[in-house]
Order: sequence, then C-alpha cells, then structure tokens
Amino acid sequence: MTIEILAGKQNSDGGWPYVRGASWTEPTVYSLLAMLAAGENERAARGLQWLRRVERPDGGFPPQANVEESSWVTALVALLPPGQLGVAAHERAIRWLLSTTGTETTAVYRLRQWLLGNHPPPEQAFSGWPWTPGAAAWVGPTSLAILALEKEARRRPSAEIGRRIAQGRQFLVTRTCHEGGWNHGAPRALGYESGPYPETTGMALAALRGVHTPEVARAIGMAHRFLADCRSADAINWLRLGLMAHGGMPADYCRPAGVECRTLPETSLAMLIGEVQKGRDVLWG
Amino acid sequence: MTMRDLQNSVVHPLPNGRGSATVFDSMCGFRAARVRKRFLRIPQLPPMTGKITRRELLAASAAVAGMASLSSCNREEPLTPSRVSIVRAPAYDQRVYETVRLLLEEHRVDVRGRHVVVKPNLVEFEPESFINTNPLLVHAALEAFRARGAASVRIAEGPGHRRNTLDLADAAGYFKIVPNFEDVFVDLNLDDVTRVRLPRQFSRLGKLYLPNTALGAGLLVSMPKMKTHHWVGATLAMKNLFGLVPGGVYGWPKNVLHWAGIQESIADLHAAFPRQFAIVDGIVGMQGNGPIQGTAKFAGVLVAGGDPVAVDATCCRIMRINPYQIGYLRLATGSVDAQISEQNIRQSGEAISAVATPFDLISEFQSIRLENS
Repeated sequence: MTIEILAGKQNSDGGWPYVRGASWTEPTVYSLLAMLAAGENERAARGLQWLRRVERPDGGFPPQANVEESSWVTALVALLPPGQLGVAAHERAIRWLLSTTGTETTAVYRLRQWLLGNHPPPEQAFSGWPWTPGAAAWVGPTSLAILALEKEARRRPSAEIGRRIAQGRQFLVTRTCHEGGWNHGAPRALGYESGPYPETTGMALAALRGVHTPEVARAIGMAHRFLADCRSADAINWLRLGLMAHGGMPADYCRPAGVECRTLPETSLAMLIGEVQKGRDVLWG
Repeated sequence: MTMRDLQNSVVHPLPNGRGSATVFDSMCGFRAARVRKRFLRIPQLPPMTGKITRRELLAASAAVAGMASLSSCNREEPLTPSRVSIVRAPAYDQRVYETVRLLLEEHRVDVRGRHVVVKPNLVEFEPESFINTNPLLVHAALEAFRARGAASVRIAEGPGHRRNTLDLADAAGYFKIVPNFEDVFVDLNLDDVTRVRLPRQFSRLGKLYLPNTALGAGLLVSMPKMKTHHWVGATLAMKNLFGLVPGGVYGWPKNVLHWAGIQESIADLHAAFPRQFAIVDGIVGMQGNGPIQGTAKFAGVLVAGGDPVAVDATCCRIMRINPYQIGYLRLATGSVDAQISEQNIRQSGEAISAVATPFDLISEFQSIRLENS
C-alpha cells in the first residue's frame, strides 16, 4: 500500500471520494491525515483547500460539499493539525464541537420529557455527540469527537474541553453492551439486549485511551475475540486502533489474507495504523 | 368532525412496555409509541374520573391535533384496485428464478430502456439468515429485469446500523451469488446526493438529501424481508425505503428519521418515490422481536405488486396482522377504506387464507393481531 494509491484517487477539486464520484469530507480527512503523516505536504495542500472551501458559516463541516448542514465529520476535520488546516478554521471546528450535543441531554428536551411525565433513563445523564444536530448522541460520533478534543486538549488544555471529554467518556461507558463492547449506541431495546459490533467497539476503545474500568476491560476482551475472525477492513482498522490505545494489540497479529480495503477511508486508516506502529502518534497527538 | 367522531377516536395508551426505558427506547420509542397510540383507536370512551392529569391534557391535545391532520388527508378519490400476487416459493433454490420471471410477466412490468434499482434489505452480518433479503432472490430479480429489456439494473442499499456495507453484503452471501457484485452494487449510504423537497410532508422533515441512484431510477424495486418490527409492527416494502436515506449524511443509525417520526418518515419516503414495484421475500421471514432479534418464520411465499401499500397490506394479512393498525399504511392511504382494503386489492395467485400463518408478535403489539382487533 503506497501513498500513490491515495494520490491517484484525488478528485480534480482537491477532495477525495469514498470509492469514486464526488468528494466527501470523511475520505478527504483520512486521506489528508495519511498524506501528512507521510510528509506529502504539497500533495495535501489541494485537499486542505477543498476543506476550507466547504466550511459552513457555523464553523462546522458538511459531509459533502453540496450538503448545507454541519455534521459529525467536523470531529474528523478537527483531527487535522491546526497549522495545516488553518488555526482559525480549526478553532471554529473545536467551538462547533463544544457547542454540539445530543438532543436528549438539552434543557429543552428534558423539560419536555418532564412535562410529559417521562423519566429519562440513567444513561441520558451524560452528553455525547450526534451524527447530525437535532438528533440523539451515538457511539460513533461521540468517539470521534472525544479523539478530536483529546488531541486539542494536549495542545491547549481547557476546563471546558476536559468536561466534555469526561462527559463523552461516561456516555460511552454507560452504553456498553451486556457481553462487552459497543454497537451503534443502543445496548438495549424494549428490554432486549443487543450485541456489540467490531468497528464501534474499536472506535470507542480508541476514545477511551487511558480509561480503566471493568467495562473497558470487558470491551478489550471482546475486541480480541472480534479481531480473531473479523473479515472487514474497516472493523479490523478500528479494532487495531482501539487495542493499540490500550497497549493490547497482539504482537503476532497478522491481517487475514483476502480482506480488502474497499473504500478510501479504509485504505487511509490502514496507512495511519502503519505510522502508529512506527511510533508516530498521528491520531491522539 | 362531530363530538361522537372525536369520542370514537380517543386514543388509549398501550400497556407499559417490557423492561426499563433504555437509550433506544427513548430515541425511537417515545415517538414510535405516540404514533402507535394514534392509530390504536378503541370505540369506547374511558371511564371519567373527574380529574384530568397533565399527561391526559397533553394527550388529548395531541389527539385532537392528530385527528385534524388525518382528516385533511381523507380525500374522496376514485380508486383503481391495485394488483397483488401471492405465489408459493418453498425454498431458496433455482426455482425462484422462474417464479420471479413469471411474477414480472404477470404484472406486465415494462422496464424497456429504463434504469431499474433493486433495493434489498441488508441489516446484519449474518450468512444464510432470516435478517437479510436472500441474495438468490435478489439475483433472480436482477436477471428477470435484465431479460425484460431494462437499460440497466443496479442493486442498491444503505444499511441503517453497519457502516461497512460491502463487507455486510459479502457476509450475507451477495458476492457469492451475484456475479461481479461490486460492479452492479451501489452503497446508498455513500452515493452522491441531491436535496429533495418531500412531496407529502407527513413528518416534519420537509426536505431530505437522497441518493442520486435512487432518484434517477426509472423503477425502484423494494425487496424486503417479511418481518415483524418492534417499533412499527411490521417491516415490509415501505419500511424498506429507510435504506434509501444516506448514512453518509445522516449517520448510522439514521436517527433524524426517528426524531421526525418513524411512521411519518416511512410515508414521506413512499410518496417521494412514485415509480415502485415490490417483491417481498416471505419464503423465510422473521417473527417476534424483529427486525433483528426475532426468530425465523417459514411462510413460503413471495408477494409482489406495483403498489407497495397494497403489497404491504396483503403481507400483513398473511402474517395475521391487521393492516389498519399499521400507522404508516394508514398515513400513506389517507383514508381507512382505500388501498389497504381487501376489496380494493385485485388478488391473484394463492388466496391469503391458503398461505396465512401467524407471525409471533411481542407483547406491545398483541393488539394489532387480526384476531384481536
């Protein structure tokens, strides 16, 4: 796998598609992270310009250029180095993240539930991040937002960022599945237990680096079991990152033959993991 | 609306759900339960206690508003009976190719020169399971539409929970069964999108970004699994359209639809795609706590037709579910006697009574059982 694969997939507008077609923010950010980690700053410049062009007036980023709403991909953009993205744009992305929360933890929603006589379940005590503003918080966007804020906190610690990271981590811990690990964020529905997914288990573990709780320990065990027979490149990428975050990646792990990277985020993330293995902390800062 | 009409429409709350309120309950359940309540009408007023609680006051206001909104949909329009076929299909084997070909022949589906998009229901990494639409059946449809002269036939899906769609399709057996699967498949979660104003506005979504592959289809073929559903009762051809909403824009799950109202969003999506055909995989369906955690249920049928509302209503009757109790069907028809009435469905093939088999329902949905309502 070389950086040439990514360069060859770059659209003329500077961004990257998932597979082919229009540029999207998610593959663009992952491709940029891989390019910058490889020292390909000149090639990355056009991608960074594309990102700056699609920034929304509220400081967030849309998933695609023609979508007129900021979304979860803002957390990915905030993973980019401020010096590369632009300090002001990066600061606005962080502000957007800090001002965004799942609707179920807003004061208006809680008041409405109180008026209706509904009692919010205990896990709604902690605020996470939604895929899109105006919806509930889920494991995927919460994990990515924590990663972005943690990276920012290492550069510029602040009480506000620390508080949101702590809330987000509690959100994740309360959403663990009964058997360990995470699914999209609904461990129970109508009283039935739901099982975990490998990709979200890896994501959440990556966001919980440095957290030691029984839930995290069970999730690490589940991640090991997933990794043993997982056939999805996306899931394998996140499981590896999640286990690396906790120093639990098996030293003798060998990626199964025949598992293909089918999208550019999968390809880019696999490259980033290679950099992490070399000791470069490109994800956590 | 007379006072008597209003009294007859008083909404009774369902019995309390099993287990404690949970994350997903609260994200989908509040809304789903409210919609369910709206459609579960019991023709009796509750005994008056002389004391109105805050909850009852709010519920009554909501009921009046709901009735006003529903009554505006009750337009008297002449109805052409919709044709629905029920055919026996005892197993997922080579015979389904001929069965599907004959179904399209019977309905004289004209796709010459048109771009056909076949939309199965892919949910989980489960090989040979009863969660996903069986790949053999989808391949049979692909071949049949090609044989009828379609300009192109694509298989397209955007799963609601799992991001790695191609891996999911691989695990569900699609790569094995459909030759060159990646060349004919479109991941609707990551397809290019266009913002569309929803024509009917049942929900408060107003506009949605939708995938260009689906919007450009000359015929959209919904191919769901015949399943019960723990929020809306049954998931069939219409609910299958949730998979058209791009996860790349709205996330995994597509939670914006839950907040806008599941039943209303289904009706909105149905109205946004007027050129549809439905083939329901009822060979082995799912009963109980569907759409994911239920158990296998053999029904041994395929149900097909050009009107997804009539197809879904017929499937409900096969499952021994009262279609009038399915909120999105009521919304889509706009009147209790329209497309979901058996009299307005031109039935061919097997009689419903010959293939009907009761699908288990979770306790919250016992009241939608045909025998109970």
